[in-house]
Amino acid sequence: MNSLRAALLALFAASVAMAAVMVALVVSSDHESAKEVTAVLGPLIGLSFCGTGIFAWMRRPHNRFGALMTAVGFAWFLAGLTEANAAWVYTLGVYLGPLYIVLVGHMLLAFPSGRLETDAARTLIAIGYLDALFVQIPFFLLGGDISTPDNAPRNAWALTDNPDGAQVFGAVSQLVAAVLIAWLAVQLVQKRQVASPPQRRAMAPVLWTGLALSATLAVAVVGQLLGAGTSVAASPSLVSLIAFAALPWAFVIGLLRGRYSRAGAVGDLVERLNARGIEGESLRDALSDALGDRSLALAFWSRGSERYVDAHGQHVDLPPATSRSRAVTEIERESVPVAAIVHDAALLDEPGLVRAAGAAAALALENERLEAELKARVAELQVSRAKVIEVGMAERRALERNLHDGAQQRLVALSLQLGLAKTKLRTDPDVAERILDGARGELASALEELRELARGIHPAILTDRGLAAALEALAGRAPVPVEVEAVPEGRMPMPVEAVAYFVVSESLTNVAKYADAEYATVRVVRENGYAVVEIEDNGIGGADPSAGTGLRGLADRLAALDGRLEVDSPPGVGTTVRARIPCA
Amino acid sequence: MSTKVLIVDDHPTFRSTARLLLESEGFDVIGEAPDGLSAIAAAGELHPDLVLLDVNLPDLDGFDVAARITSVLGAPAVVLTSSRDSSDFGPLVHRSGARGFIPKGELSGAALTELIR
Repeated sequence: MNSLRAALLALFAASVAMAAVMVALVVSSDHESAKEVTAVLGPLIGLSFCGTGIFAWMRRPHNRFGALMTAVGFAWFLAGLTEANAAWVYTLGVYLGPLYIVLVGHMLLAFPSGRLETDAARTLIAIGYLDALFVQIPFFLLGGDISTPDNAPRNAWALTDNPDGAQVFGAVSQLVAAVLIAWLAVQLVQKRQVASPPQRRAMAPVLWTGLALSATLAVAVVGQLLGAGTSVAASPSLVSLIAFAALPWAFVIGLLRGRYSRAGAVGDLVERLNARGIEGESLRDALSDALGDRSLALAFWSRGSERYVDAHGQHVDLPPATSRSRAVTEIERESVPVAAIVHDAALLDEPGLVRAAGAAAALALENERLEAELKARVAELQVSRAKVIEVGMAERRALERNLHDGAQQRLVALSLQLGLAKTKLRTDPDVAERILDGARGELASALEELRELARGIHPAILTDRGLAAALEALAGRAPVPVEVEAVPEGRMPMPVEAVAYFVVSESLTNVAKYADAEYATVRVVRENGYAVVEIEDNGIGGADPSAGTGLRGLADRLAALDGRLEVDSPPGVGTTVRARIPCA
Repeated sequence: MSTKVLIVDDHPTFRSTARLLLESEGFDVIGEAPDGLSAIAAAGELHPDLVLLDVNLPDLDGFDVAARITSVLGAPAVVLTSSRDSSDFGPLVHRSGARGFIPKGELSGAALTELIR
């Protein structure tokens, strides 16, 4: 950075030297009629561009705008060579004269990023450089007349004396210049139209001065085309000179005005925040005013759900980092995320500004965040409560169906078989015996189904012997080999044990049904105030937690306890179901 | 001449046990159907004297099946049955055109004869 600083200071020294050369040339010029004005205004304009350009370059080394502005200053000094009495230097000055105008167009279109953003802009500027540097060459070689006023030196580059032929190239060059200037004005207006309000405010001084400059240049070029003009390098009118001289100052004024008003606005923001409790929409409005961005939006970090929510607690998506129009500045307090300010990307031109405003509002944002989080909790609880009721109803329907289709049917058949056996008992004891055997089988099946159902409602072993025993029993019944690797010693609260049990039970059912696994492992550990239940298999993976009712039902049961369910199931690798249940 | 019976129930265990029971009590079981639509078709083809019809069928409701079977001239008598109790169904049994209701566990030839007499 220091070497850049030194180089830029050297550059500034060079510009001062060139200004001195220009003054000397003007003072000693044989053909300059307005020596006093030119000797003051000429170097002043060049130094203005070089000074402000080098200043901008130093402040933002990665933005090419400063370099462009400095280039305009130096090109201006080169155009000043037309003050020389030596014919060769004079001709060089006339040749390089139009270059600064193209550089100004380049600078205006590249404001404020320093880059030409559109194909149209790149085309315009490329044609401009071609026109200024190449189309003119034949004009000079064919002996074009550059001696305006009459006592100025003659064209030193003439190979032949064909002023009429030369004039064709001169006219073409000017015609192209006229078209380019009109096109430049159109593009500047378009640039303003597509800009966001903060961008528009920032570019206003430069844009208006630029438009005024294009207008005066257009008048000058058209005037020369219609009259007996020479090359494009004809000396600009006084009006266009004034507009031109104003350009770097317009840039500096725009920059300072923006900075001061924004710094002031952040100060106002602090006062507003201190003066009264500010919250909700008014906090957003205060930030929006301070940053001059009406589109500004706030998102609050919900620590419970680990995502951003709006002031009403509803989940919101932040614009992607690739967005060109919107940007996100995240505000932290004591290294913990509090909120995100979603704002116009133009505000990134002022590094640290949004962060400063956010820091000023951090306490208010934290209060706001707590409220949003509370609302998010309430909304989540309402949903999970409704879902728990829904799950409960569905479970009761399933239970009724299971009882009716299973045990009840078996008991009906049993009753009929007993009746039948009774009628056969005396007449055909052998048949009666066979029927009674069938009846015992039916009864055994009915008992097994009732046991299964009872376990589904609430496993007695869980109540009596705790989670470890209940999980061992589940593992023993599973059709796939299951290893219970860890279960905490001692009892956990009943609702936690019950949910943990059903997570394992449902997951093992899924493993048996869908996973095509060779084995599964079950692990329950206590970790930072949570009971973490993990079921892992080596099956085919690809489980979708939103597809089946089983896992969704589990997620809802977990949500009722403030717990969370994660399913990690990459295809071909296996599935890991992980439930985190708060368990102090 | 023995009474010709069509048994309609989606549980095969019940159908086979009921067939055994009724045949041992002198009924002639001429067909079985596992659901409502095949029951209506079988009733038309086999011309039974009695249809023993389960209320809970996989496709149609037993009451609707009873109404459709009994709506034609010379229709068989329909007796509804279920593993639930008749009090679960209120006036539906009466309205369906069925002769009556027997809980599955209480099914017997005597109970059927009593209803269709």
